[in-house]
Amino acid sequence: MLAAAHDSGAAVALLGGGTDLVPALRSGERVAGVVVALRRVLELRVRGAGADSLTIGAGATYTDLAGWSLSPGLARAARVVGSVQIRNTGTVGGALGSARPAGDLLTFLTAADAEVLTASPRGLDRQPLPRFLADGLAPDALVTAVRLARPGGPQVYLKIGDRQAAYPAVVSCAVLVDRVRHRLTCAIGGVGLLPARMGDAERYARDEVDWSTGTVSPTAARRFGDLVVEAAARITPALPAGPRGSAEYRWHAAGVLAGRAFARCLHVTAPPAGVPGGPAGDSAVGGQP
Amino acid sequence: MTAVAPDGFAAGPTGTGETAGTDGEATGTDGGATGAGGGANGGDGGEAGVGGGETGADGNESYRLNVDGFLRTVNGARLGDSLLTVLRDTLGVTAVKDACEQGRCGACSVLLDGRLAASCTVLAADADGTRVVTVAGLGGAGLARAVRAMFLAEGAVQCGFCTPGFVVAVTDLLTRHPDADEEEIREALAGNICRCTGYGRILAAVRAVQAERSLLRSGDAHSSGQTQRPPDGGPDGG
Repeated sequence: MLAAAHDSGAAVALLGGGTDLVPALRSGERVAGVVVALRRVLELRVRGAGADSLTIGAGATYTDLAGWSLSPGLARAARVVGSVQIRNTGTVGGALGSARPAGDLLTFLTAADAEVLTASPRGLDRQPLPRFLADGLAPDALVTAVRLARPGGPQVYLKIGDRQAAYPAVVSCAVLVDRVRHRLTCAIGGVGLLPARMGDAERYARDEVDWSTGTVSPTAARRFGDLVVEAAARITPALPAGPRGSAEYRWHAAGVLAGRAFARCLHVTAPPAGVPGGPAGDSAVGGQP
Repeated sequence: MTAVAPDGFAAGPTGTGETAGTDGEATGTDGGATGAGGGANGGDGGEAGVGGGETGADGNESYRLNVDGFLRTVNGARLGDSLLTVLRDTLGVTAVKDACEQGRCGACSVLLDGRLAASCTVLAADADGTRVVTVAGLGGAGLARAVRAMFLAEGAVQCGFCTPGFVVAVTDLLTRHPDADEEEIREALAGNICRCTGYGRILAAVRAVQAERSLLRSGDAHSSGQTQRPPDGGPDGG
């Protein structure tokens, strides 16, 4: 069907939840000769769990994810997207298809080493999320699902921005800990055109965390945040500065969020005597930004 | 007389709690998931193919929408039109308000198969086969009546433009979480913008509804309150 529509030469738009596409059609920002509505394709709404991976159909909504106990980190990330209205309709496939630079789900999925499953007349395919985002979806292909590893430890997603219900995050950060493989991954959204992994900070965490207990020293969160600021400043291509804040502001915000998320994922050992308060205060910062 | 078709009325609030997870499947009656083009729903509403070959560039096929319990035929709408546009401009349903058209303000909130949605983000043709409930279809009794009455009593209505969307959202919230605390209420209503009240009066109205409802079901514990809840659907007693 999709291929036929594509072959007809018309401009084809895939409709997931509609939260991006329908307003864009109304405003004329997008024009489509054919809209392929996917909501009724039940196969796309399936969520499944394998021995060590989770598969989420592209038609799953944020509300579907928000109640999913198999991935509590992803569930919490989904709960802070948009409003009830948006979460009830917006889908995983839509988040991938629209690929907004600060898309909440993209940041989380980037940290989770997610794979994107697609279907096209050439058959089924899967590719790592960064490559999918860089190459874009082929015009005759369809995102069927996204696959990620089962959580292996604490996962924290934080973001900062304007009124959450109405606007995407300005800067977002996901930190995922895998206690089994002694690994911590961190992705930052809203600084580059696509979410970026923070390699240096991840390597620092790998070496710094006491993996037998899951603890870190009180100064580690600050150092982790500093490494993220440095890495954020190197991200290319960068998002142009604009109403979303200056580049410097977003680097700084990335560091603050990363330090906070890091501290929430790991137990901070007691600060050394004579350092009242200390950076452990970071972990006491309560609410969502 | 009965102001509201009991049918559509029951469809809204009761659907929310019990069938949210399966509604999607229920609507996929045409089995056209892979492009059979199921004509059963009227028009070409099956799974896809909005604007197929047999229609012009503007695509003016007709389809039907279940709005507040009435089956309405849509003629002359463009197939790219949003549910909000079709409800207001084609069907004359002004119970949904048109403000931002970007899914941000909540003025156009409706229940789709019992799920709260901004109708400006829904493709009208894709709503073929779902139950659309606006504030006018919530009915004149039960929870929806209490929400409207308390909005008035607590001064939660000033210019009134956001009110239909808020009443739908509050009814949805209290159907799902009758005992929501203040943070949950604020979070659940974050998708509805009011420029007049500062939200304080709206919160007070929600609290007043909760107080009234908990009085109604006092005596019996929680469980009975939840099983009794649905009969919002009764006809308008007038």
